[in-house]
Amino acid sequence: MWSYFLRRLVGLVPVLFGITLLVFLFLKLIPGDPAVAILGERGTPEQVEALREKLGLNRPLPEQYLAFVRRVLTGDLGVSAVSTIPVGEELKRRWPATFELALAATLVAVLLGIPAGILAAIRKNTLWDNLSMSLSLVGVSMPVFWLGLLLVYLFAVHLHWLPTGGRLSTEAGIGFKPLTGFYVLDALLRGDFRLLADVLAHLVLPALTLGTIPLAILARITRSAMLEVLSQDYVRTARAKGLAERQVILKHAFKNALLPVVTVVGLQFGTLLGGAILTETIFSWPGIGSYIYEGILNRDYPVVQSGVLVVALAFVLINLLVDLSYALLDPRIQYR
Amino acid sequence: MKRTLIGILAVGALGLGLGQKTLVFGHNGEPVSLEPGNITDGISIYVQRQIYDTLVDFKPGTTEPVAGLAVSWFASQDGKVWTFRLRQGVKFQDGTDLDAEAVKFNVERWWDPKNPTRIDAAARYEIWPKLFGGSKGEAGSLLKEVQVVDKYTIRFVLTRPFPAFPAAIGSGYFGIASPSAIKKDGAKYGSPTGSAVGTGPYRLVEWRPGDQIVLEKNPYYWKKGYPKTERVVFKIIKDPAARLAALKAGTIDFTTDIPPANLKDIESDPNLNAVFRPSFNVGYLALNPSHKPLADVRVRQAIAMAINKKAIVQAFWGKLGVTDGHFTPPSMKAYQSPKVTDYEYNPQKAKQILAEAGYPNGFDLELWYMPVSRPYFPTPKEIAEAMAADLSAIGIRVKLQTKDWAAYLADRRKAPGFQAYMLGWTGDYGDPQNFYDPHFASPITDLFDASGKPLDLKELNDLLVKGATTSSAEERKKIYQQVDETTFELALRVPIVHSQPLLAKRKNIAGWVPSPLGSESFETIEKR
Repeated sequence: MWSYFLRRLVGLVPVLFGITLLVFLFLKLIPGDPAVAILGERGTPEQVEALREKLGLNRPLPEQYLAFVRRVLTGDLGVSAVSTIPVGEELKRRWPATFELALAATLVAVLLGIPAGILAAIRKNTLWDNLSMSLSLVGVSMPVFWLGLLLVYLFAVHLHWLPTGGRLSTEAGIGFKPLTGFYVLDALLRGDFRLLADVLAHLVLPALTLGTIPLAILARITRSAMLEVLSQDYVRTARAKGLAERQVILKHAFKNALLPVVTVVGLQFGTLLGGAILTETIFSWPGIGSYIYEGILNRDYPVVQSGVLVVALAFVLINLLVDLSYALLDPRIQYR
Repeated sequence: MKRTLIGILAVGALGLGLGQKTLVFGHNGEPVSLEPGNITDGISIYVQRQIYDTLVDFKPGTTEPVAGLAVSWFASQDGKVWTFRLRQGVKFQDGTDLDAEAVKFNVERWWDPKNPTRIDAAARYEIWPKLFGGSKGEAGSLLKEVQVVDKYTIRFVLTRPFPAFPAAIGSGYFGIASPSAIKKDGAKYGSPTGSAVGTGPYRLVEWRPGDQIVLEKNPYYWKKGYPKTERVVFKIIKDPAARLAALKAGTIDFTTDIPPANLKDIESDPNLNAVFRPSFNVGYLALNPSHKPLADVRVRQAIAMAINKKAIVQAFWGKLGVTDGHFTPPSMKAYQSPKVTDYEYNPQKAKQILAEAGYPNGFDLELWYMPVSRPYFPTPKEIAEAMAADLSAIGIRVKLQTKDWAAYLADRRKAPGFQAYMLGWTGDYGDPQNFYDPHFASPITDLFDASGKPLDLKELNDLLVKGATTSSAEERKKIYQQVDETTFELALRVPIVHSQPLLAKRKNIAGWVPSPLGSESFETIEKR
């Protein structure tokens, strides 16, 4: 297993190189000069030229690419063209926000999606089944932006139950010094339950918004995986033995249906890291998603290049972990 | 259980409440830097304005210069030497004194690329050369020398007369910062991990990027009785819809940059007020003479006459825009010619003029609209469509075009340029030069003559040079009124709108006077 792990790890190297090349080329495909975009309608031709020089845009493409890769290899993710703050510093500060949100969204998806899928499977073709599957279809097709604003207007503006955005309320935020950057953890470490409540309140709506699509997908995958397993002989045997239905469902059927579900959870978590862009924007969530989004708007190449690279790295690593977790679930899977 | 959970969350959400001692401003973005003179974005300046004072201030709600850190100023006979008398007894927020040396320190830093206290990794400081012709050592540099005359007197020696100097040095870019704080912080100064120290009403307490910036009352502030509120929090909410929701929910007290379409929504909410920032911009349609029909001034005037600007402004801006034929916004009335009244909307007459110019059947025209929304053109495509419809009524067959913003900006300068395009300008300071020179000073780098050379307008250019160098205020007014008339008749850039940015506040916020210049002090604002 260790050699498999190592081989997979080595295999990531060309993948990551490919990603750097793709990101680089995509950015170059966007028409227009970033120097002009950064300076806007007020930039004079001389200023544009000076900024091009500064950003290294005058050099040939391969040279620009090599310079980018060389910097990344030495751990230097470059400097934002707009703020001049090192991108690495900014990503380091922001990733806990994104990670915490993605984790919360995954929790929402798992805790609601899997039970919904199981129920739909065991009550196949009932009202419950139809209802939950229709809802999951709505969930998948609902535009994130729209859903987010809908939730904000309902729960924050009208009902005043939850805050409209941010990670902390204004007052809790004054003088707050993050320790780990994971605010839930920070609040627990301080034993400050008021702060914890504040942090959790701020997490609810964005996690729900971000978690809706994976929730819907998970519900559907769980349902079909369960249906398949439930029709198997060993389930029939279990029932024939006179086992309680609860035992049959959870011990026999669900454990075996878990494999595809875990794959999807892992993949969805990976996409959440990158896909948080819209959610983070609506909820003023200071994570990597909103950072990359701004980078794209501002033509801030170093931000986009390095930001996407880091997200991609997280994504492939999570996939690797998902693959490894198969062994725990299904001993028949061999690593070679 | 469920009820308890919601209860806990609700307590967390509402918290203790901030009471009247804290103003929460919903800001539309993250400042790039809190170091003055180094950036040009309004988002940063808005925060800086609370921390720093400038030499010259402006009467609230206007562009009229009044005493700031300088109590008085005057120019030498030849208009080349400006002397400023500083206010005495002013302290920076770190307790050090404001004096002429401190001002010189700031100016040298902005002006001199070799200044050792410049954070050169960033190498910005682009606003100084933009407004003052160049940096130290460059041929175009307006500034020749900055001298400390005595402890409270500072003198600027210029290479040429520049009557707009007080207005320009008073612009929000040039807040005076504490030299000792800059020396102490080095490259960190003005960043989230460093300090930002001025003489303004509020001092920086903390800046948590992406989240909020906390400012507290400056105990040393020189204006007695101000600021009215103990604390200001800038809460960063970039998305306009989210910002409006936060205002409605009461998370924030007042905010900026609301989409014009939300005006009705705000006016119908009993807890909110719409607040209008006086216009300080122009959105125009540029007509490029390199396209043969547009080389004829009559054709350009016919176009100006054929576009129903009043109807367009009414439709797309409502209360949030005016159209008056002037290139400068209404807040600069003193420089506008009373003779300039906009071309009347008259398609019949326009058609007739077009026929006289030799185009009885009209012609084809490519009209470029911006791919992005700007304060002066919030919905460029729809506005372009409306103009195209008006033009088709006089036989001009418009083909609407656009491209990526960066390419749009760059390509308009590549000969022969776009035939017709939309763009605009927001002023830096309250002087007509800042509006006219970037658009009409020869050669005009984005409009071309028939042979494809950048357009050169000798007469207008002479007028602009005269305006830029004449010391007498009365004389200057006359010159710019003439410029107003000339540019109006030339119709190379047809002013479509001066738009008012829409702001909003909760009803209990009082004393907010938005400045046309884009940022104002919060010192007079209080929560009732």
